[in-house]
Amino acid sequence: MEFATSRGDVDSELSRLRLLHLADSALPIGALAHSFGLETLVAHELLDVANLPEFLQGYLEEAGFLEAVFCGAGWRLSQSSEDFARDWILLNEKLSARKAARESRSGSGSLGRNFMNAVVSVEESDLIRAALQASKEAAGLIHHSVAFGLVGGVLKISDNSTVIAYLHQSIASLVSACQRLLPLGQHAATRILWQMKLVMIETAERSMNCTLDDAACFMPLLEWGTMEHPALTTRLFIS
Amino acid sequence: MAATVEIANVHKAGGEATASPLARGSVRAALRLEFARNSTNGLTRLSESRQEAPLRVVRAFETSDGTALTHLHNVSGGLLGGDLLTLDVRAGACANVQLTTTGATRIYRSRCGAGTATQKNTITVGGDALLEYVPDATIPFAGARFAQRTEIRLEAGAGLFWWEILSPGREARDEVFKYESVDLKMDLLVVGKLVAAERLRLEPAKHGMSSTARMGAYSTWATFYICREGIDASLWAALETELRGLVCEIGERKEVFWGVSTLPAHGVAVRCLARNGRVVLPGLHAIWSAAKKKLYGREAVPPRKVN
Repeated sequence: MEFATSRGDVDSELSRLRLLHLADSALPIGALAHSFGLETLVAHELLDVANLPEFLQGYLEEAGFLEAVFCGAGWRLSQSSEDFARDWILLNEKLSARKAARESRSGSGSLGRNFMNAVVSVEESDLIRAALQASKEAAGLIHHSVAFGLVGGVLKISDNSTVIAYLHQSIASLVSACQRLLPLGQHAATRILWQMKLVMIETAERSMNCTLDDAACFMPLLEWGTMEHPALTTRLFIS
Repeated sequence: MAATVEIANVHKAGGEATASPLARGSVRAALRLEFARNSTNGLTRLSESRQEAPLRVVRAFETSDGTALTHLHNVSGGLLGGDLLTLDVRAGACANVQLTTTGATRIYRSRCGAGTATQKNTITVGGDALLEYVPDATIPFAGARFAQRTEIRLEAGAGLFWWEILSPGREARDEVFKYESVDLKMDLLVVGKLVAAERLRLEPAKHGMSSTARMGAYSTWATFYICREGIDASLWAALETELRGLVCEIGERKEVFWGVSTLPAHGVAVRCLARNGRVVLPGLHAIWSAAKKKLYGREAVPPRKVN
């Protein structure tokens, strides 16, 4: 194993380690409490172990792509903005408008705020504090993907690496939820997550050339699942 | 529809008319409607209309509650590749307007080399006005390419009932998801703030619609926005609960899924996934009726159909 020797190498390795840390599903932001509609799909026997890989691939192509575009926009906001507070609020409002299902919207908002608070407790950043303050004053949501992008930029992680890491942690969280909802063992879950990595890279790459206005997403079954989730009689998850 | 030259007619108070030639081989047409409420009798009337063939409205009919009901006609029967149709509707302050179609909107197969059939809708609902947009389904035929851009703006106190139904194609011919592409964009702004936005790009040949990540075993999709500016958030939460209870009673559970959720502000969104399109309209009517009673204290009046 090679060890970093120069200041530049240390900074680079530090960025990589921080990214691993932030994308770890063990980061205490509440990600394990949300299924984002999967619980309903499982309860209605629409999602099972057999169609889970296909579902996750479709998820990455649709919702994953949308979140990747907004994650990238959050990253770019960290690099320059004439009116950061205004642009930050507008970006989060745009993503809120794209999430018609209340639980999905508020779940994303909960994770985003927790994520920002977790980061600000370990890393001094005026920009992250400004973002938290702006959202507090506007009583606005902070979406997880947008927050992840902003933090990636603040920590000088590349936009592509930030978006890929975001996608990886979001799919890892969904697979983890499925382990509690379905007869999905550790090895099978690991295999599925392993198989998705190329799709994550492709999704991130595709998202880099897409504007917010063009970012399309069509997942009507999952959206229904999120809308219907409050009606489930027994629930393991908040969303 | 192989129009080479179309004549634009403008109907305005006073009967002014103009003519303009259009591009060969495709149709560029606009329909602009303005509605105003008569403060003396409380009735809403169609105060101005600018109509370019093939888009037509005959007149506004007065419904039992004083609403101006208008049927949108496309006398050519549908949209072809390269067509660009524009609908601009303005409901003035306190106006009550209901728009419907005379039948399904058909999107015909796009010929090789033809562009995308495009519909642009710009809707403005003035202060304390109400717009009810309750059309029939949009049916993209095999090989169709369709893009729709819709922007809806609600001013203070304005209300909206807006649904759209997307069919998978001509189901009776087993023509299901045979269209080339459907690209829908919709922005809903209330007093300048974006509260709902849709961006759909469906390309069934590239991304299978039967994936659980998309529509699964369901083929017809519908969306319904119910809004009124100025209503307390607690009422929207109550309406979400009420409508969720209602939709449980609509249709066989395995045949149709209904979802209801509050928007970030000023309204609720309803989504429908159905195996068969026939169950969708009755469900939308039931939801419309319940929501209108809750928000306006009066019954929804289903549109009389010309056809």
